[in-house]
Amino acid sequence: MKSAAKQIARQRIQLLFQQAKTVYRDNPQLSSRYVATARKIAMAARIPLPTVHKRQACKNCNTLLVQGENCRVRIRQKREPHVVITCLSCGCKTRIPLKKKREKTKLERDNYQNETSC
Amino acid sequence: MKVTPDIIRHEFIGTEGKIAKSPHADYVGINGEVIDETKNTFTILHTGKAKSVVKNSAVFNFKFSDGTIVEIDGKLLVGRPEDRLKKTVKRLW
Repeated sequence: MKSAAKQIARQRIQLLFQQAKTVYRDNPQLSSRYVATARKIAMAARIPLPTVHKRQACKNCNTLLVQGENCRVRIRQKREPHVVITCLSCGCKTRIPLKKKREKTKLERDNYQNETSC
Repeated sequence: MKVTPDIIRHEFIGTEGKIAKSPHADYVGINGEVIDETKNTFTILHTGKAKSVVKNSAVFNFKFSDGTIVEIDGKLLVGRPEDRLKKTVKRLW
């Protein structure tokens, strides 16, 4: 797909999430419909949903997640430090790991170079 | 906002819509915020009531957030919102 279409898709996703936020108080059903369309647009254009919006949407039921309203955010330490976002309308949990992937140390990098060179 | 043929791939939810032409006389003049879109219809909030209008047989005036007003034939807008992204329009003249 052309990059112009991807640009339009990014704009549309942003607009739809804005709309979903304004409408949420009066009509939660309509707002979840906007979120669903935004996600479909991202899939059709083959672009990742921006991280900000990815955490505002429930992957299971497409509701707009508003903290203190319809989702629970907790930090857990089991296995590895992570954040759990629970959607209170469907119970779906999303895990966000907090540890970044470890970069290779200098020693390891040097070893790798030595192995490849010979 | 630049008006190009790409406008048919844009988002219409949240804009102000008005029906300029329609074969059904009662539909002409419906105006308000566009709140929903399906493959064949737009839903417009007209004086507090949601009215669904068939795309294929109407001509719309859309007012975008920055004030530009664009007149578009509804025939070009037929298609689900996510499929409209890939639509291209041939030169009509």
